[in-house]
Amino acid sequence: MRAEDICQTVLRTCHAAGVSDAVVAVTQSESTMIRISNDQITVGDALKEISALLFISDNGRKAGTTVVDLSKKGISSAAKKLVEAAKKGPGGGLYAPLPKGPFHYDQRLLESESIPIDPKRTVAWADEAVKKAKEQGATRVAGSLTAENGRVTLQTSGGAFGVSKRGGLELSLRAFNGQGGSGHSVSVTGIEKEFQPGQAGEEAGRLAAMAGEPEKGEPGEYTALLGPMTFANLANQAGKMASAFFVDSGISFLTDKLGKKVASEVFSLSDDPTKAGGYGAAAFDLEGLPTRRTAIIEKGVLASYLHNSATAKKFGVESTSNAGLVAPHAFNLEIGPGESAFEELVSSIDNGIFVSNDWYLRYQSQRTADFSTIPRDATLTIENGKLARSIKELRISDNLLRMLSGVTSLSKERKLIKWWEVETPTLAPYAVIEKVKFTRSRM
Amino acid sequence: MEDHLDFTIDLARSLGASYVEARYQSDYSESNFLKNGVPEVASFETKKGIAVRVIANGGLGFGSTNQMTKKDLRALVKRVVSLAKESARLRKEPIHFAGTDPVQGKFEARLRVNFEDIGLESRVLFLQEADELAVKAAETEGIKLVGRYLSLDTWTTEKIIMTSEGAKVYSKVPRVALDAFLSAYAEQKGVMQRMINLGESCGWESAERWDVPQLLQAEVTDLAKVLLKSEAMKEETSDLILGPEVVGIVSHESCGHPAEADRMLGREAAQAGETYLQRDSLGLKVGSEVVNVVDDPTIPRSFGYYPFDDEGIRSRKRYLMKEGRISELLHNRETAHCFNTVSNGSSRSVAFNREPIVRMANTYVEPGELSFDELIEGVRFGVYLKNFNEWNIDDRRFNQRYVGLEAYRIEDGELRQRIRNPVLEITTPALWSAIDAVGKDLRFSAAYCGKGDPMQGIPVWTGGPHVRLRNVRLGGST
Repeated sequence: MRAEDICQTVLRTCHAAGVSDAVVAVTQSESTMIRISNDQITVGDALKEISALLFISDNGRKAGTTVVDLSKKGISSAAKKLVEAAKKGPGGGLYAPLPKGPFHYDQRLLESESIPIDPKRTVAWADEAVKKAKEQGATRVAGSLTAENGRVTLQTSGGAFGVSKRGGLELSLRAFNGQGGSGHSVSVTGIEKEFQPGQAGEEAGRLAAMAGEPEKGEPGEYTALLGPMTFANLANQAGKMASAFFVDSGISFLTDKLGKKVASEVFSLSDDPTKAGGYGAAAFDLEGLPTRRTAIIEKGVLASYLHNSATAKKFGVESTSNAGLVAPHAFNLEIGPGESAFEELVSSIDNGIFVSNDWYLRYQSQRTADFSTIPRDATLTIENGKLARSIKELRISDNLLRMLSGVTSLSKERKLIKWWEVETPTLAPYAVIEKVKFTRSRM
Repeated sequence: MEDHLDFTIDLARSLGASYVEARYQSDYSESNFLKNGVPEVASFETKKGIAVRVIANGGLGFGSTNQMTKKDLRALVKRVVSLAKESARLRKEPIHFAGTDPVQGKFEARLRVNFEDIGLESRVLFLQEADELAVKAAETEGIKLVGRYLSLDTWTTEKIIMTSEGAKVYSKVPRVALDAFLSAYAEQKGVMQRMINLGESCGWESAERWDVPQLLQAEVTDLAKVLLKSEAMKEETSDLILGPEVVGIVSHESCGHPAEADRMLGREAAQAGETYLQRDSLGLKVGSEVVNVVDDPTIPRSFGYYPFDDEGIRSRKRYLMKEGRISELLHNRETAHCFNTVSNGSSRSVAFNREPIVRMANTYVEPGELSFDELIEGVRFGVYLKNFNEWNIDDRRFNQRYVGLEAYRIEDGELRQRIRNPVLEITTPALWSAIDAVGKDLRFSAAYCGKGDPMQGIPVWTGGPHVRLRNVRLGGST
């Protein structure tokens, strides 16, 4: 069945059964992934999928399913089963009627150019990235490159209807220097002409060269200079915890902090899916509302949570057009830029540590934001305003809200980050943060 | 479905593939979720499709589709073979798989209670009963549960795997899992969180056997005591008893992951990382002689159970560490060839649309002979770290951190006052080498291990008995 016919079939079934709200999203995607290790391609992945996401709410009794049998019989049967599940459900959760359309969507967000996913092109990009990293002195290179095209057809019982065709390119590359040092970089975009595999390779290679032969770092309290990959990871946490679903659950460190200072004045965070051609661009959310920019933190003050219709009703505000299946979520996070160049940030620090990347962030408590994460790749001391010694085996063991409040300056240069550790695309600058606690294994 | 897999294999061979593996996988799942006592969306899903993996011209290609007509399969196979050939251009050495005798077999788990016999109302009630007792326990103890999630998942995984070498295996494995997240608050004392994960490869009878209401009631009572009664500690060197939950995560993070041969070859270097072990580390002493660490996919009912891996190899028990020495790595056929050995059946994928890669199954410290009391009796001054709430480890699996949740002071062989959030931040060899005694009370926790790109969160058990460490440096409360 055609996507539009699938939507109609489901909505008709739900309407006939007296269901108050229904959403159908038919998703088609085709992608190629190239995985690299030791400068070679370890595997090429070719994935193709079509499925329909059905979500209904019968006056708050909610049920959802994903259907892969898209025949008329398969769709009708799934819709009937879903209605039955919702009718049997106890309900009682957050509920608001779906927004009433029709809606007008930004044409620039509905359609972006198609991305090449053919083997020759994707392998050539991977080759270029590896070569550039090696030119910087990397002894070996690993990573992954994904080229994807997708189409989403969405229709709701509220009268929303939209078809979005979007592509994306994502490269994550790690270069090793043979002495125990490494560097990591990414190139992430929704437009082919902005894809920079060579630049990402160069940066990964350059960082690996900087990392030299790392020695054990000394634990203590330092001024930290976080690279865009590290700072994006922290900002992702704030973006995730800004979801009104987590706030309402009582497990977010942003609970009860609306209108209060949660970060330093130089820190602003927004969700903006309205940049045409952006990797995280989206024309509509899962309730069919046209997307918009939402300021989450403005000059250090928590300005808004991210809402769907149900959480918005509970909080007495309008939806911010961030609906997902259950929880509202950010599409494309942006940290406001600063005014300094990277070199100026380095020269402003007498005794600090530059952390180019991190991984494995875990909370002691999501509500209080006590956490730790492990710097990886190029990590260098900053001594008297200069990058000095390459170090390893440290851990940032701190509080995320305290760290956001300790941001003193940001770079004007920003980079779009998305990789294994950073789920939501995030435009992030370098950030200087005071008094960050670094710990190390004691044995 | 077998004729579709045959078709896929024959077509790939005709296009020049020297090896072909075709897999049909179907995962039917049902999920229920309670947020602060209120049911959220109930969902069900069938995720199914065909995956094909080929070696062509020495390059490896993988592909999948959930559109299973022969037309769709033909297009997929052409694309995958072409991708493998193009990938081969960037290889110095062709990819080979270690040899194996093709296995033909069938496994279907027997259930006492089928998932389909448990209706939506019963599932929600199952969660609500547990939630109500948790809330009551909090009230009794004088704390507030400010955030609580309870989720219940059941799913059945059906696989048919066929290879161009003649392997043909069928398996059908059911799984049930319960995950709880509790955030507790008390005036003047702050917030503590607790995560509980239960999971088995079994029918609904597992969920009933867990007695989740009683379990949550006990957990909340303990959490309240941690919050209200634990005292801060300063940095110290002392003996340490680790509970089974902590021993499980240690086994997984600092023995299981380092032993994955694909990490050693750099295949996960840009994502999940590598390993501190080297190619010549077999036999290397990293722990004391009382330590044996096992990974075993064959444990009946275990969350990480599988009868055959996704390359059609029969699963078996592996000793990763024997008497403190690295004993065996986890291999698939590709890594086995690189190490001039044979696969020990460690290749798994989480869904039809994911490449099979080297994974753990159920990783644990083998039990010894001492009771908990006997372990404690041998400690003059120390700490008992029963469970944990924060942890991480570097991407070479060398430096790790575990923050204790329920923890006690030990003095003269007896448990004393509760201690708040002791921190164990230690290297892998230092941790394993400090163990001088191993308990006999083997227990397991369920977990989802993350690895691969795209990410694959795969069911595993982690476990062990209580173990005792001597002269360990512990960080103070954070």
